[in-house]
Amino acid sequence: MPEQEAVKVKKRGNRLGFMAFKAAARVFGLRGAYGLLYFVCLYYVLFDRAAVRSAIPYIKRRFPGRGPAGRLLEAYRLFISQGRNLIDRFYMVSGAGKFDIDILGYDRIKSFLQGPTPKGLVLLTAHVGNWQTSMAGLELFGRKVHLMMRPEHNEAVREALSVDGGGERIGIISPDGYLGGVLEALKAIKDGDMVSIMGDRSYGAETVEVELLGGKVRFPYGAFSIAASAGCPVVVLLTAKSGPMRYVVDVTTVIETVYTDRRRKMQDIGGWVQEFASALERYAEKYPYQWFVFHDLWSPEDEVDRQ
Amino acid sequence: MSGYNEERLASIKARLKELLVSELSLEDIEPSEIADDEVLFGEGLGLDSLDAVEIVVLLQRNFGLEIQDMEKGREIFYSLDTLAKYVHDNTTA
Repeated sequence: MPEQEAVKVKKRGNRLGFMAFKAAARVFGLRGAYGLLYFVCLYYVLFDRAAVRSAIPYIKRRFPGRGPAGRLLEAYRLFISQGRNLIDRFYMVSGAGKFDIDILGYDRIKSFLQGPTPKGLVLLTAHVGNWQTSMAGLELFGRKVHLMMRPEHNEAVREALSVDGGGERIGIISPDGYLGGVLEALKAIKDGDMVSIMGDRSYGAETVEVELLGGKVRFPYGAFSIAASAGCPVVVLLTAKSGPMRYVVDVTTVIETVYTDRRRKMQDIGGWVQEFASALERYAEKYPYQWFVFHDLWSPEDEVDRQ
Repeated sequence: MSGYNEERLASIKARLKELLVSELSLEDIEPSEIADDEVLFGEGLGLDSLDAVEIVVLLQRNFGLEIQDMEKGREIFYSLDTLAKYVHDNTTA
């Protein structure tokens, strides 16, 4: 799906439902707000062809063998899951309550950050789970997190930054800055901070081809180049709702970025990106409705990102 | 009269040209084809942001240089000339 159309779908969802969900959450609590989702998402499944079409490529790969009706059902489940994500985000941002957060892999990351040579690391994430909970979990590491992104493209980030200013805990490195922000990223890592980069969408960056859910996709590799230059690992950051009031933040997949042969570094980079793709595939197996892929990753036309 | 040792600066430029071609895998370019004042990013040599990451590594490994002030990166990385002068000023002969 062309990126502009995908943005339009997302905005439509927010405009139509968010006010009602906010009110329901305030009056009836989370469960009440969730209850509204069943009706709203049914509307989208039945009448928003663009929304359903955007979800089908992922659903076909993750749930092979489903017929048309089965795929509609999976799309419905995916929309509900995303809706819960949005409601939970509002719940946290508004201060109405908190979720319990389990951090898997905490000790290993903590020991790296407290090692003899203070250095940060690169976090590689994807459009999964709840961004708010991953930031809440990362607070425990006591380091500033720099997000390499365009803030105008991410409503969750805008909300978080508007609520608490972000400033000390969260920074933004714009890829529109000088040299795509890579020098800022290297400085942040050198200062002992963490740099978070989205790994399942290229946004025009250079990509490599890897295997994912039985097909080939192209994922960006800039995170690994930066990490290799900075001498730090890439930590895959994935979050998922694991219970009614519980989230898990998974930082167990740590990819060491040391070139075996710099003259053939793209081979190493390809292997590292494949490790990330494999981590995503394991995630999709365990939490199929929490990876919000609303475009065709497997289509060569998705290379519009690279233009 | 510049404050640079011109002979040393020329030697640094020659070395940088070789390193840029080899480390950045610039397959269709010979070191001798890179002008002394070649702009590195965008126009000129046409390098991109990931090449900048490689240049940071190249400076570390070949000249023992770590760019302390990344905010000066725009000046340092502007052209081969500015890069060479940075190396000249921050290393000894």
